[in-house]
Amino acid sequence: MKRRAILAYLLDHPGVLQKVSMLIRKKMYNVDTLTVCKSRKPGISRMTITLREDDEARVSQVIHQLEKFTEVISAKELDTEHSYWREAAIIKIEIDSAQLEALRSEYKFEILDYKNHDTHIIQIAGSTRKIDAFVAQLGEEHIVEISRTGVAALEK
Amino acid sequence: MTGKERLLRALEKRGVRHIFGYTGGAIMPVFDCMDKLGIFKFVMSRHEQGATFMAQGVSRASLSTDDPQVGVCMATSGPGAMNLTTGIADAHMDSVPMLAITGQVATGVIATDAFQESDVVGVMMPICKQTYMPLEADEIEKTVHEAFYVATTGRPGPVLLDIPKDILNQQVSKDYKFSLENLRPNLPGFFYHPTPARAPVKKALELINRSERPVIFCGHGVISSNAGKLLQALAEKAKIPVAFTLHGLSAMPADHPLSLGMMGMHGTVEANRAISEADLLISFGMRFDDRVTGKLNEYAQKADVIHVEIDPSEIDKNVATTVAINADVYRTLHVLVGDPMLTAKPRRRWHARIDEFRQVMADDLRTEIKGGLGDEGKLLMKTIVSQLSDMTQGQDIIVPDVGQHQMMAARFYNYQTPNSWFASGGAGTMGASLPMAIGVKLVRPDERVWSISGDGGFQMNMQELGTIMEHKIDVKIMIFNNGYLGMVRQWQTLFFDGRYAGTPMLSPDYGQIASAYGIPYRKIQTLEQIAPAIKEAIDLKGAIILEFICDPSEIILPMIPAGGGFDDMIVKRPMPQKKGGKK
Repeated sequence: MKRRAILAYLLDHPGVLQKVSMLIRKKMYNVDTLTVCKSRKPGISRMTITLREDDEARVSQVIHQLEKFTEVISAKELDTEHSYWREAAIIKIEIDSAQLEALRSEYKFEILDYKNHDTHIIQIAGSTRKIDAFVAQLGEEHIVEISRTGVAALEK
Repeated sequence: MTGKERLLRALEKRGVRHIFGYTGGAIMPVFDCMDKLGIFKFVMSRHEQGATFMAQGVSRASLSTDDPQVGVCMATSGPGAMNLTTGIADAHMDSVPMLAITGQVATGVIATDAFQESDVVGVMMPICKQTYMPLEADEIEKTVHEAFYVATTGRPGPVLLDIPKDILNQQVSKDYKFSLENLRPNLPGFFYHPTPARAPVKKALELINRSERPVIFCGHGVISSNAGKLLQALAEKAKIPVAFTLHGLSAMPADHPLSLGMMGMHGTVEANRAISEADLLISFGMRFDDRVTGKLNEYAQKADVIHVEIDPSEIDKNVATTVAINADVYRTLHVLVGDPMLTAKPRRRWHARIDEFRQVMADDLRTEIKGGLGDEGKLLMKTIVSQLSDMTQGQDIIVPDVGQHQMMAARFYNYQTPNSWFASGGAGTMGASLPMAIGVKLVRPDERVWSISGDGGFQMNMQELGTIMEHKIDVKIMIFNNGYLGMVRQWQTLFFDGRYAGTPMLSPDYGQIASAYGIPYRKIQTLEQIAPAIKEAIDLKGAIILEFICDPSEIILPMIPAGGGFDDMIVKRPMPQKKGGKK
């Protein structure tokens, strides 16, 4: 199913996140990723939700109903052609240094911490696909723990 | 001054005169203050759900009067607040403005599972237009005004105010100031477009003028914006027939030559056939709900759709529109009716075709109503409603419950008074009628109010007879007792081979119940008894209960089966049911 990103600006009030997530549940979606951060305007948050849906009309239904909340100032869909979708991940990996360097030249991540000679904590940012590819190439067996931020998106 | 006093003063300023509810630990301070101030008429319901429907009755019935009010109901924390949910969800489905105020446990013990604590805001969020929990006495007054603004602006809906007990008792700060004139609610996301844009209106007029077989849809928005007269003017000017949603009924006279009656699952043949043959649907203030459309992919295939609706999220939700006008129904109708571009096209062939549709069931219905008795020799609801309609000349207010009798009341009462039909529609809450009728009567004291229930729905909220007794409320109560949950029984007859699972129902002796509450009572079992009983109810000052012994075999036709299209409409009674199931 097609991945969709919805960008919404909303009042930074308690309960708003609950309202948004309840609407998505009511519409029978499972949230793929959800990120909330402060916007440039005080008191207003910026939220990016990604979910999977092929039907254009159903997505615009969700957006209309989001906009109906008095706390939601605006909501719209961002498509991949006209916006950047990026996420970051912090990964604790067990791998020897030589392998790590080889990967590093390909994926350009930052090493945050050397736990000991073969445990590292690294930080990687990029498209979801890039992180997926990195994780796949690294192999599950090398990953101790992974924390992904979810998608943040910005229009071109 | 304390928070509770600010709360009540704000309600007073908003023109609230009746407060419905039930007291308890957390809301006590407000009741105490209300008693001291003596500015409201407090009506105690016997169950909090009753209070929500009374408040709905006030909101629904007063909007066409000179003094529109928003119904207010109050309950205590925990179970009190939870008992409000059904009525609030009902108001949300039917876009009825309402303010629910609940007491909450003190802020110090919130989230400790204190006695009678529940997360009211959490529960109410999806069924309210907005929820508030003020955490300072200074916030209360501002919040009440914002709540009224939100509840009544745009598409109306219920708003909840959950106020902790200590905040109610808290003194407002020394330099507290509030002025309603300077109030600007901080709602940057609350958009409201009352005025129609020119371009879609122009396009709509072109479509109307061009169309050969148009149908106007009259929805709840027409009632909510008091636009019945304008709708009638549009229909008459352009010679377009009008079909009604359940909530659109009574917007214009039911016997108007252009009226097609109700549409949808139990709508008339003429309305539904006209819709399936129409080339243009002009819908005002409605949301194309499944009971109206039936199977969506077969719905009005040949028609363009003009959708006038205040809530943008309803546009294109179920039915794709050709022209969307996101605006207030009243203003849009005003523009359309006044536009010189609107032409009067006679559309004779279309009206002749509709007259054919009108004949499909006319004879059957006439015979049935005239006969008045069902298979078991008991009374037919159709006949009772028709007689009531004749004897009151269609002038009275009808508040039905939910079920078969509701459809009978929708179909066979000849509505003449604008805004005289109040029903639980979207939610279909059984038991709504009796309490709602109480609220209606309080704001329309000079009109006669009939609460019509089945035996099932009546027993769901019959404790409100206590309220009727206490406040001497003049509601004429009709119970259509057929010993079954009639509408479900009808489905069982038609689609479940006549197995009546969970529908037979024993009723108490309503005569004794009536006498326990000191309310006059008549039991009507024969055709000859109907008219005198109705006459007695009309002449009597005060409440009366009329119990009609109805025939369980009666069904309301036509019917479009759930999930079916308009072509699946059942217009003829099927062969007698199999004797398979339990009686």
